[in-house]
Amino acid sequence: MDQEKKQNPIGVRKKGRLKIFLGYAAGVGKTYSMLDNGHEKLKSGVDTVVGYVDQGSSQETLSLLEKLPILPLKSISHGKLQRREFDVDAALERKPELILVDDLAYTNPPEMRNLKRYQDIEELLNAGIDVYTTLNIQNIESLSGIVQSIIKVSPGRTIPDYIFDQADMIETVDFAPEELMKRLEEGKICRHAKSGNTIKFIFTKENLRLLRELTMRKAADRLSYDNQRGVPTGDSLVRTKFLVVISDGVPSSKSIRWAAKAAEVFHASWATVYVDSMRRNHETEVQEQLDLARKLGSETVRLNGHDAAAVIAEYARVSGISNIVIGKVRNRKSIKKLFDMELEDELFALLPNVELHIIPESFPMKHRKLRKLKLTENVVLSWGDTIKTLGTLALATLLSKGINTFIYDDQNVITVYILSVMIISRITSGYFYGMAASILSVLLFNFFFTIPYYTFAALQPEYPVTFMIMFIAAFLISTLTMQIKTQVKISAEREHRTKLLYEINKKLLQTRGLENIVKLTSEYITQIFDRAVVMYTEDPVNPASGYYMESSTDPYTAQLRREEEREAAHWVYLNRKKAGAGTETLMNAGAHYMPILSQGKSLGVIGISCANGKLDQNSIMFLRMLVSQVAMAVERQFLSDEQRRILLDSETEKMRSNLLRAISHDIRTPLTGILGASSVILEAGENLDKITHDQLLSNIKEDSQWLIRMVENLLSVTRINEGTMNVAKSPEAVEEIAAEAVSHVRKRISDRKITVKVPDELLMVPMDGMLIEQVLINLLENAIKHSSEESTVELEVCSKDQFAVFEVRDFGNGISEGDLGNLFDTRLPGNGRSTDSSRGMGIGLSICRSIIKAHGGKMEAANRATGGAVFRFFLPLEGAQDES
Amino acid sequence: MNHNPLILIVEDDVSICNFIAAVLSSNQYHLIKAETGKTAISLAASHCPDLILLDLGLPDMDGIDVLKSLREWSGVPIIIVSARGHEREKVEALDLGADDYITKPFGTSELLARIRTALRHSQKPFTGASRRDKITLGELEIDIEKRLVTINGREVHLTPIEYRMILLLSQNMGKVLTYDNIIREIWGPYTNEIQTLRVNMANIRRKLEENPAEPKYIVTEVGVGYRMVEEV
Repeated sequence: MDQEKKQNPIGVRKKGRLKIFLGYAAGVGKTYSMLDNGHEKLKSGVDTVVGYVDQGSSQETLSLLEKLPILPLKSISHGKLQRREFDVDAALERKPELILVDDLAYTNPPEMRNLKRYQDIEELLNAGIDVYTTLNIQNIESLSGIVQSIIKVSPGRTIPDYIFDQADMIETVDFAPEELMKRLEEGKICRHAKSGNTIKFIFTKENLRLLRELTMRKAADRLSYDNQRGVPTGDSLVRTKFLVVISDGVPSSKSIRWAAKAAEVFHASWATVYVDSMRRNHETEVQEQLDLARKLGSETVRLNGHDAAAVIAEYARVSGISNIVIGKVRNRKSIKKLFDMELEDELFALLPNVELHIIPESFPMKHRKLRKLKLTENVVLSWGDTIKTLGTLALATLLSKGINTFIYDDQNVITVYILSVMIISRITSGYFYGMAASILSVLLFNFFFTIPYYTFAALQPEYPVTFMIMFIAAFLISTLTMQIKTQVKISAEREHRTKLLYEINKKLLQTRGLENIVKLTSEYITQIFDRAVVMYTEDPVNPASGYYMESSTDPYTAQLRREEEREAAHWVYLNRKKAGAGTETLMNAGAHYMPILSQGKSLGVIGISCANGKLDQNSIMFLRMLVSQVAMAVERQFLSDEQRRILLDSETEKMRSNLLRAISHDIRTPLTGILGASSVILEAGENLDKITHDQLLSNIKEDSQWLIRMVENLLSVTRINEGTMNVAKSPEAVEEIAAEAVSHVRKRISDRKITVKVPDELLMVPMDGMLIEQVLINLLENAIKHSSEESTVELEVCSKDQFAVFEVRDFGNGISEGDLGNLFDTRLPGNGRSTDSSRGMGIGLSICRSIIKAHGGKMEAANRATGGAVFRFFLPLEGAQDES
Repeated sequence: MNHNPLILIVEDDVSICNFIAAVLSSNQYHLIKAETGKTAISLAASHCPDLILLDLGLPDMDGIDVLKSLREWSGVPIIIVSARGHEREKVEALDLGADDYITKPFGTSELLARIRTALRHSQKPFTGASRRDKITLGELEIDIEKRLVTINGREVHLTPIEYRMILLLSQNMGKVLTYDNIIREIWGPYTNEIQTLRVNMANIRRKLEENPAEPKYIVTEVGVGYRMVEEV
């Protein structure tokens, strides 16, 4: 039972129940109520344990602790400080029915497995442990914006809304704000430094009232939601579905929060979409926003396509979106805007029936900084590009001079310069040279081709306009060329990845066998990412599992083999979530682990070493795609293995039933003989003459002996393992086995000459001694039966290459041509020759072959040139390659 | 031979029981029968038989358990009757103190030979016959005093270990000794010298036997151990 619990922390066992004690500020008595509740539970016989309680809690709270069993905390050194933290592993090990863990929104120090305490608690719930915990209202993600606007301080740590929504019970702990203020003055609350900072801001009467109202509302919402659950909602409500569109370069956190709130009010589902477009500059911001949306309970989708509006419209139609939410920044103008239609206008045109909500977004400072940084990144200076630019411009000037000597024509000169700008944009990298060339070309034109020549002065009044137009044209052309170039680069990259994925997929389709799939995948991953990789196709808890491959620059597989890494992989396998470096769980692991999932089932884990730095978002996305391909391949392999197993089972079953039929037929004959002879003796009694009497008795004896041989053969079949068709081998001396077999045969048939020859040196062969003895007995008896009484039967054993060779020779008539082919087949009654008459060894020989096959050896029969038959079988010696 | 030995047959199958009974009474043994393990134990206690034939497959309890409870208080020779193919069961029984075993199906001569051997070994400690100076078996002669082994008068050169093995087997002539048993006696407990044992036995055979694949003196019981035959 214990074992089962440990091995199966998710799976069949029911999930634990979560109860949250919700308060509007520190000091309202959440922890006190939680402990109080825990007491009651303990008294009513529930196995209750305190997992963690903030030591800064008030005296009366801490006094409650005395009567409760407390789980020891985990000591970790955090810098120079010793910290004592909640020990989630100890809790899982201890496995109480109920555990009390304070402060749901707590952020763990980086040494712990999970970044956040709510992740710890999710693990506990998954293990079937009930959890009581506490939470302040400002720590709920969707409310943090509002709270921030009330108390003017960011609440910092937050929990995703789904944790709150999925809690089984919410208990609001209320306390009058006036009382709370009084308690604060008495110094009864929050003696620890952490909250000291926030206290000044939060504890004004006004703030407390607002927070209290917020708490009550949240609880009321939850209550009404609970009441409505199960009650069919109106049609209009069902159809409401929100979609938040994240646009490039527009921070969308407000839209996301708005949609989350709206979806909650309407009890609607909602999704967040981002269209991967050409520009990758905002990757981290986009990822942050998608993460935020996910935390707030949204489904998140990334789509591909160059026409964002069309793609979004298509998605909205397919998934029945009724409301689209778009964030918009007011004063953001760029030249690009001159050409692009606003996204919302396009969507408006494409989806006339969908409601469009536009949410004003503000540009936080940090984003602007980021953008500037990105701009400078685009300015790449290199000598090569500088020479190319100057050279092209010089050529253009020379060409224009040439044209000018024949005909004086401004337009042609301008065209030549614009052409040169275009060429420069094409052949150089970054925006800088294109822009510089635009400016330079105008200056050059001014210097060389306007009167007065060789000055920057322009006499004619129309020239400034010409310059202006020329500059704008050149600039636009350079910008457009650059954009096209970027687009080409990105599509080439995407193409490359698609091609790679296609290639991998094709190879995976062709690959058979789990090992090969693992090998191929590891090869590709080390090639693409140039990092060491580990791949598991079973629960990594088994120390023999895991396939490691190192890359040229990352020979760190030794690090991946450590026990901690295996545990991380095990966690990923069980929890079906990625973990390790670059995630929020087990951040200290040396690798990034991703589960191989198929239909919600873990098939394995892939780990990529992060010794050379963490993976970026693109790589993770690509890896995820790759892993899904691998998951398909692995699952296909599992299915085909399963199929093969079933086939083998049915084969075995068929063999068994054939054997059974053949035997019951064979057995009937001697039994009839025994029954007949014994009844004659019993009934005839004295009337039987002595010779007939003895004859009948010896018939009975012979028939019984035959039956015994048959049964011994059958018994040996049962020693072959079902399913694997293998035998338990141990090293045996062949001379002992041969000697035993011969003496066994001699006991039954004493009047025949049998010679035995074994090698001079002791020959040890791994085998099941009883089975090989049985084979030898069968072969010897077979040889005796098929040769004349005076002839000798020979048994010889020798070793040859990696095999021990056993040979049984007779000097009889040999085997007929027709029989040679199917000598070892189980003969069925009525199938060709009857086995009745000869009471043949058909079954015996087929059993012999099964036994030798199960040993990984082979068996053959032949006629000897000098007359007689020879039966030969080979058994692999110790250390030989197993043939089976 | 004024006293005919009393044999307890523990066997639940009536026809086998009848057959054994017929063989034994025709050879002047007295006998009592038990069909279950419980009756076997109580009969053994009340009648003090000279030998027990114990079938391992009994209706009420495992034959091995019967053996264990008998061995708690009695040193009476016990011969196990077991089905072929269950070497592990035989080894277990021998290691638990059974004196010998016989495999179904068995012939009458084989059964009688085993019973004779077992009875002789059980009487030795009282007659003092176990400390013979010389053991002779066909052409094989073991002079214990001189530590000398001869075949047909010709001296056989043996290593100390080989000599000790031959001596051990000859002192238990006719009885099967399990691999574990021999290893414990020769190399001491807590060792696993099964390979060494095999190699030594192969060497002994090459020194004693004409054809090691047709041994006359020491035969193998596959999966169980070795036995030195009583008569060639």
